[in-house]
Amino acid sequence: MTTYLSGIGTVLALELRQRIRGVAWYVLLGVFVALVALITVLLWLSIGVSDGLGGFLFSGILFFVLLLGTLVAPALSGNAINGDRDAGTLATTQVTLLTTGQLVLGKFLAAWLTALAFLLVSLPFLLFAVVAGGVGPGTIAVSVLVLAVELGVIAAIGVGLSGILTRPLFSIVVTYLAVAALSIGTLIVFTLAGMATSSEARTTTFDVASVNEDVPLPEGVICSPPSVTTYTVPRFDYYWGVLAANPYVVLADSAAGQFDADDQPTDLFTATAVGVRQAQIAPDLDATFDYCTELREEGSAGGIDSGRFPSSREVFESTVPTWFVGLAIHVVLGAGALVWATARTRTPAARLPRGSRIA
Amino acid sequence: MGEGIEVVGVSRSFSAVQAVRSVTLTAEPGSITALIGPNGSGKTTLLLMLATLLRPDAGHIRVAGHDPVRQPDEVRARMGWMPDILGSWASLPVRATLEIAGRMYRLPKSAARRRAEELLELVGLTELAAQPTRVLSRGQKQRLSLARALVHDPSVLLLDEPASGLDPAARVDLRVLLQRLAEDGRTVLVSSHVLAELDEMATSAVYLDAGVSVSAERIAASRAGLRPWRVRSLGADPAAADGADSTALADALRAVGVPAERISADHLGLLVGVRDEGDAAALLAALVTRGVAVSSFAPAFGELEQTFLDLHRGNRS
Ligand SMILES: Nc1ncnc2c1ncn2[C@@H]1O[C@H](COP(=O)(O)OP(=O)(O)O)[C@@H](O)[C@H]1O
Ligand SMILES: [Mg+2]
Repeated sequence: MTTYLSGIGTVLALELRQRIRGVAWYVLLGVFVALVALITVLLWLSIGVSDGLGGFLFSGILFFVLLLGTLVAPALSGNAINGDRDAGTLATTQVTLLTTGQLVLGKFLAAWLTALAFLLVSLPFLLFAVVAGGVGPGTIAVSVLVLAVELGVIAAIGVGLSGILTRPLFSIVVTYLAVAALSIGTLIVFTLAGMATSSEARTTTFDVASVNEDVPLPEGVICSPPSVTTYTVPRFDYYWGVLAANPYVVLADSAAGQFDADDQPTDLFTATAVGVRQAQIAPDLDATFDYCTELREEGSAGGIDSGRFPSSREVFESTVPTWFVGLAIHVVLGAGALVWATARTRTPAARLPRGSRIA
Repeated sequence: MGEGIEVVGVSRSFSAVQAVRSVTLTAEPGSITALIGPNGSGKTTLLLMLATLLRPDAGHIRVAGHDPVRQPDEVRARMGWMPDILGSWASLPVRATLEIAGRMYRLPKSAARRRAEELLELVGLTELAAQPTRVLSRGQKQRLSLARALVHDPSVLLLDEPASGLDPAARVDLRVLLQRLAEDGRTVLVSSHVLAELDEMATSAVYLDAGVSVSAERIAASRAGLRPWRVRSLGADPAAADGADSTALADALRAVGVPAERISADHLGLLVGVRDEGDAAALLAALVTRGVAVSSFAPAFGELEQTFLDLHRGNRS
């Protein structure tokens, strides 16, 4: 066991020294810190030191780390294995006592740690957000953990594809496409599918025809005959499951649940989660608006929104969380990519991909 | 120091290309075995199979007493492989490269560090130890690659074209080093198509031709033909091959009984077809007896090169 781990450690150390170390890397981290600082200041200026500042800042920074992770991790991990083969260094490690599993795991850990560096350098800003207040300990723990796992998934997909596909440039591009499919593709599928599958909805309205002030209330109000309008509504409620696979939704949904006294979200996680979970609620296909009876019984026609539209908190609490399903899908994808890559890289090799050499 | 290499009837193809058709060879401990063949004859593919990287389609392989397919770890612990392409971790210093290679063979940290120092000394890279490997010249990279193959003190060494790109002095160093390694009882298998350098160090040779190892009989048969020997005498100016002196030497050759069709000339002088070494010795004695001032009398090609050329010629005809 310890020899197995120390083998992984050797690969990890080699990867960190060989692939990642360099001035360009530190420049990138510096630019990232500058951007996070800018976001912090802008949020501070726009929200002001209020209850909301801490929550929005914290969630905003973590979303930004996820964005940067999805942009940078594929480039760092997407040629980990086939790049070494092209450089002629893969085979020299394969003839040693390292196993293929150690090689792949070491490369995966190196890519993951590299992505986590972004989280690490944003720590001071996260601390500032926590000090500003309004961020619960549960939110901190869960969101940071889920973000770390999501970055690991991207690293695993990158390293996995670099072992599955032969050409480094191609595997980097496919890694970007895979990450984009999860981040943007799910959103596009959700939107288009929801719009394509629309239902006929009917609204029946009873309006007040006339009011006879001289007659006591119920009888004094004369109702007009019902007016019926029909229209089509998109059925997003069939497809909300698609969004569960979106990494941003996973992160938001996992840490959501912060509301203020007016039941409004106090961070971006909760705001995003409410927006996404809204889709779980099926539209009312046969709504009746009886303003006339209302007036008869209560003496006033309450506005359309009087108690009819649920608050953010009610939406959130009446729907189901999806983040663990999405996270599980991601972890299975990442682990599957690593297992496949290990099988493809194993030596002595029986079949080689077309046009590739072992060394 | 353990068992050598044993290969029987091995073949390997890459989809349509049959890279190795049928190779049978043995390499004994304590010897340097040359693996000779033209480009594309399957040398690298064969070495990859010996080095546990490639699975043979058929046949039987033993390296240091173990099967590379079924017991790769046993083989890897005892076998050092130097590839023909010189990959190195570009931004890693030379010393760290060797240390990490040692760690990959499960050497403890301190042992890996010590071994790296020894190897730097052995291949003469101590002065460059702190440089990143990307600054090394081709010859220096080659020496680093050799050092990496030696990091776990293997009993079997597989070297794929180790001398290509080396200057003459470095080749001599390599030869001396390989001879020393073989004297320790290691099995050394060296592939090359540059035959002059192998000629001086190889104790035995295996010829590969289009993926087939050439049988001993075919080699013996190829040796039965005439071999060109180069003859020069004092006063015979090579620049004037058809000049008076050269003609004088040719006359002398004919006078001692060499048929005219066995004498030819090239830009370096005269070539005489000779059946074997006894024949050559007799010819030399006759020339000297006639008073010809012979200054040079030697085979025109090295032994390996000659066999290589004969086999190749025999193949085409
Ligand atoms: N991975 C591969 N895929 C397809 N063909 C290959 C591969 N490796 C080697 N070959 C072919 O097999 C033959 C032998 O190659 P190789 O073993 O490299 O020869 P050598 O080392 O003797 O020059 C060549 O024709 C080469 O093109
Ligand atoms: Mg070759």
